[in-house]
Amino acid sequence: MNERIFKRLYWEQVKNLTIANMKSRYRKTFAGFLWVVMSPILTYGVQSLVFKHFLKIDIQNYSLFLLGGLLPWIFITQSIEMCTPLFLTNRDLLLGFKINPLVILLSQILDNFFNFLFAFLLLLIPFWLILGDNIGGLPYLFFALINLILGLIGVAWLLSILQVFYRDTRFVLPFITNVALFLTPIFYPPEFVPENLRPIIEANPLYLLILPVRTCIYNFSSEMFLSQILWGSLVTIATLSLAYFYWGKKRNEFYIHL
Amino acid sequence: MNSISISEKHIASVRNLKLAYNLDYFEANNLRDFFVKGLKAPIDFLLKSKETYLAVDDVSLTINRGDRIGVLGHNGSGKTTLCRCLSGMLVPSDGTVETHGEVRPIFNTTISVLPELTGRENAQMLALLLFPEMTEVEREHLVKEGLDFAELGNFLDVPFKSYSRGMQARLCLSIITAKPCDLLILDEVFEGADQAFQKKISKRTLSLIEDSGAVVLVSHFPEHVEMSCNRVIIMEKSKIIFDGPVEEGVRIYRKMSSLSQI
Repeated sequence: MNERIFKRLYWEQVKNLTIANMKSRYRKTFAGFLWVVMSPILTYGVQSLVFKHFLKIDIQNYSLFLLGGLLPWIFITQSIEMCTPLFLTNRDLLLGFKINPLVILLSQILDNFFNFLFAFLLLLIPFWLILGDNIGGLPYLFFALINLILGLIGVAWLLSILQVFYRDTRFVLPFITNVALFLTPIFYPPEFVPENLRPIIEANPLYLLILPVRTCIYNFSSEMFLSQILWGSLVTIATLSLAYFYWGKKRNEFYIHL
Repeated sequence: MNSISISEKHIASVRNLKLAYNLDYFEANNLRDFFVKGLKAPIDFLLKSKETYLAVDDVSLTINRGDRIGVLGHNGSGKTTLCRCLSGMLVPSDGTVETHGEVRPIFNTTISVLPELTGRENAQMLALLLFPEMTEVEREHLVKEGLDFAELGNFLDVPFKSYSRGMQARLCLSIITAKPCDLLILDEVFEGADQAFQKKISKRTLSLIEDSGAVVLVSHFPEHVEMSCNRVIIMEKSKIIFDGPVEEGVRIYRKMSSLSQI
């Protein structure tokens, strides 16, 4: 069987498992779907209110700025949280038959991605109607989102393997992501950080994945986007390579530890 | 190697297979211990040579079309590891494993894909994961036949998580046993179903074994091997210690079992 057929078969498995995941998560109702997508929308609403009106952060179109950072951040952290224990929760399936673990991982990430996309577009459309051409980078959003999802696959793959070997990984992660939220320019711009600390803050790989998405909808410039997508792609290549290398090295022990 | 060749006589060929596991992960299975260990003795942590365990040690084996091999051996003798190597799930530390045609390993028979979904939906997902090469129409037909065989009636549209263990096995076994392949690997698959269904599914499994190109059947029960195999392998301490006719193999295994009980 050639490689192309294998890829098609895997893709079909991913597609159908994503649909099944969604059915299971939404309890086959639209209300179930709303329940899942309301959480990031409410988080965004509350943060937007607090930082703009209570803390009076003085940035032009702050709500749009926050949308470009916070929703991708929620998508990343939620996906990491859900994907990290995924191989262990599916251990019977992975040990019972020969199934590529990536099929399970990809279907979970795709399920989360559709929720993110729905919430993101739902919030973006009013801005687009009001600001129109001022959101100049929308045609580039597709590339930024593809890079975001690929980078996330690398991170989630790595962490889900790590969880098989080190069972407290999933408990350490919320602490790290909570701390990282404050150290990442998500709800504040990088200019707020003292200049000598800025390179450290901006080196956060998750931030480098999010930044091109934000630039597409907020203060777009093609030179800036090009440089950001380049850095973002480097992060994606690094995380995917690292995960692939780690999987290859630990594959045998992975099955015995499951 | 996965090239399909129906006329190929050798379905699988294993040469000097060794599979070693790194034992270090059994010492620290959480990040806290890993961190403490690294800080407590950093030089040892970085330079200490890794201890390994040979789960399969220098195994050679040829599986021909028509072989129905029963693999007998006590717990920890390397049976399942050998099967996982044959199926391509594990990568040999040394030696080679070559297979020709479709290899389907089955190590568990009470599995759901998404327990919140109904039995019918789980059967469809299971078929998709097990038989990805089939067209949608073929798969639909296979699932329908499998579900009819399972005789679960109205329970098919009830969430899988509410099934009893026997019902789970019924559904899962009915799908798993629906289609033969070139090399079928069955690890303890006769267990799990309820008494009433046991006879029916055993008959179907035997027919699946007959229709497949070759079969590797792992079991603790020599009677299962006597019923369905024409060759026996006995594994002991990660090595093959016997490879030959069923009658002789079963006799040796029974003797080994009675000696270990003394």
